[in-house]
Amino acid sequence: MSKEARPSWDSPMQFVLACVSYAVGLGNVWRFPYLCQMHGGGGFLIPYLLMLVLEGIPLFCMELAIGQKMRLGSIGAWTAISPYLGGLGIASVVTSMYLCLYYNVINAWSFWYLFHSFQSVLPWAECPVNSNRTGYLEECEVASPTQYFFYRETLNISSSIDENGGIHMGQALCLLLAWIIVYLFIVRGVKSTGMVVYFTATFPYVVLIIYLIRGVTLHGAWNGVKYLFTPKLEQLANPQTWINAATQIFFSLGLGFGSLIAFASYNHHNNNFERQAVVVSLINSGTSVFASIVTFAIYGFKATFNYESCLERMRLLLLNTFDLSEETISVENVSSWISHLNYTHPERFAAIASKIEECSLEAELDTAVEGTGLAFIVYSEAIKNMPLSQLWSVLYFIMLLLLGMGSMLGNVTAIITPLGDLEFLSRRLSNETINGLVCLLCLLLGFGFTSRSGNYYFTIFNEYAATFSLLFIVLIEVISVCYIYGLRRFEKDIEDMLGHRPNWYWKLMWAVVSPVLLISLFIFYIINYIQGGTPTYQAWDKHLGKSVVKEYPVYGQVFIVLLLMSSVSCVPLSALYAFCRRKQRGAPVPQQTLGTLSSDM
Amino acid sequence: MRTAVLLLILLPPMVAQDLCKESKDGFKVRLSIKTALGDKAYEWNKSEMFLFQSTLAFAMRIHANRSNQETNYNIANILVCNDTQRVSFVFVVTSPDDPTQPIPKEQVERAVRLSKHRINNAFLLSDMTLEFVGIPPTLAAPIKYDTPPWLIVFGVVMGAVAVGIMALLMSTVSKRRRAKDKAAGFAEEDGGIVKENGTSLSSLKGKDGVYNQAFSSDERFTQL
Repeated sequence: MSKEARPSWDSPMQFVLACVSYAVGLGNVWRFPYLCQMHGGGGFLIPYLLMLVLEGIPLFCMELAIGQKMRLGSIGAWTAISPYLGGLGIASVVTSMYLCLYYNVINAWSFWYLFHSFQSVLPWAECPVNSNRTGYLEECEVASPTQYFFYRETLNISSSIDENGGIHMGQALCLLLAWIIVYLFIVRGVKSTGMVVYFTATFPYVVLIIYLIRGVTLHGAWNGVKYLFTPKLEQLANPQTWINAATQIFFSLGLGFGSLIAFASYNHHNNNFERQAVVVSLINSGTSVFASIVTFAIYGFKATFNYESCLERMRLLLLNTFDLSEETISVENVSSWISHLNYTHPERFAAIASKIEECSLEAELDTAVEGTGLAFIVYSEAIKNMPLSQLWSVLYFIMLLLLGMGSMLGNVTAIITPLGDLEFLSRRLSNETINGLVCLLCLLLGFGFTSRSGNYYFTIFNEYAATFSLLFIVLIEVISVCYIYGLRRFEKDIEDMLGHRPNWYWKLMWAVVSPVLLISLFIFYIINYIQGGTPTYQAWDKHLGKSVVKEYPVYGQVFIVLLLMSSVSCVPLSALYAFCRRKQRGAPVPQQTLGTLSSDM
Repeated sequence: MRTAVLLLILLPPMVAQDLCKESKDGFKVRLSIKTALGDKAYEWNKSEMFLFQSTLAFAMRIHANRSNQETNYNIANILVCNDTQRVSFVFVVTSPDDPTQPIPKEQVERAVRLSKHRINNAFLLSDMTLEFVGIPPTLAAPIKYDTPPWLIVFGVVMGAVAVGIMALLMSTVSKRRRAKDKAAGFAEEDGGIVKENGTSLSSLKGKDGVYNQAFSSDERFTQL
């Protein structure tokens, strides 16, 4: 047989950079700062770092060990561990597939914004004028220009998940571009991926440093950074803080998708993955903290800008109503003038009382946003007010793209590695063809997210496709490695690869602490889902200019359940299938020797 | 006699003031000079008011010219009152033929909208800082592109990526062809050459000899 040797990374550095590029993704930029803000600023670091040590690093190391030992993608690796566990790998592949489908849509949006930054006036800086040029479009007036650009011109969103519409051509083109670039990166497997990660892993840091310098020199940035670092330690008593810290560590490291197993399967047998696991996890967490400093500097700038605009509006209102000279009221003494005029001219003041706003810097800083809203609305609003906004916009969206593309590399590798290991596929089709077909399939299905109600389906995928199933997958992973495969055998494998046995920290975490943490997270999720009642979503109302809460229709809820069940059910179904085939064959097959593939595949 | 002369002199301005204060055809104007110009702000005084009246008369003349009407507007036709510290006041435009007859609101509005840019520039102000209460500013028309710029950038990036993919596929195809040729080359070496004793001198490629796979330790072909 003339099978080629398994390709491998050109150097351990490529592997580390690939893991960093995969783990450091959009969540570090748009989820961690939000959690920090919600759970007491600097104080959130305590549960976060604790969870990193208890759950993040051990599970990360475990996945790398499995991949490096078995030298196969997730399906093959888990089948090798136990013939009944092949479904675990299939569940990982299915979850990765869902993730790939919707994650690249974010990259498409980043491309859209990036291409629109090459204009003299950023399109989200001003509202478009209406037909007779007397004012701005109504939807843009009630909302803000950045929100209008995102919801109307980028998404052309409908007002509920029921209303469908055509596909947004611009979005479809950007999605096509995103998938072609992904294909270009992974077409040769690790050979091409290894070249690309040098760039995708390091350039975001360059942009982050540039943004840090720009951010802290902005007017009012210090307000935001101070807000971030004043710890509100009473939040530590809130159990939600600890739960959010645990889930954030878990999802941020990208455990359970099979990407880490896939990456590690291309390593040399004696690669020191233990040290690399610690390094990559620490880099990931460090990047989260670093990115939140940058985010809060920008928040501070935006909040101060809005606060000062509010004061200016109030000043003008008072000047115009009472016909006072411009020098009498300045921005600083607006509030004292308000109380003074209320006292001296109550009737005239009462006429404008409805227009008086409470300008508060605290309130501006308190508006916490996460997810796509933060990345595409809040950040663009801050950028449009910076001098040289086109440059900052281009830099920012290039950074988002690199972060997103880097994570996509891992996501797609998690699918193509196990598929490439399957005998019946690799015999008939070349690797490039398999990779191309996967990308094509994801592209065609992804066009659904570019329709008018596509963003609502995106939200469903974002919230449900990968959260619950991952907890389940990793829980089964850690239990099967420790108890089904056996911790002693696992120790011996590691000794075989590294030359020394894992010390007590690793064993304690794998066998006891992580499973307990995962089970409690798992139970919490189920309780939360049941207690939450009918799942709801945020729908954009174009007349009010803001999002309103709506309940999912019946078919939406069925879809959610299908999403959850389709990946989770792979595990028991596959175990059942393996059991039935074994019974069919008659004699039970002896325990797997290490490194050989089960003949059932 | 003297009272009659006094009345004659004082009547027009009094009438004018009444016309300005009570007319429904008047517009309130608001200037925010300090906000617009900061340190370079000028003082609002009678001369500036004179400039305003003349600019507005100019605007009325331009508008009247357009519709081929009477164009004898003068400063005396622009009546100003209710001057405040804010720098805001009310003005009324009267017809040049009959100073007691104010020009209807819609006409004044159209005239102002037509020449708003000129009026703004006369005072170094903008639409935001020189407000005519009740006359919405004519916003700048959106720039129309033949090809939206984003499409151009998209085209450039897409082209580069397409070239990249072509290059990759070409190199894959040529690599495969080279591998196939190498494998086929060993099989066809003896065909078409005169043989002597089963070998032919010309088949020996120089003094290096022929690569015999059976004795190679190339990992590609021997794998456990």
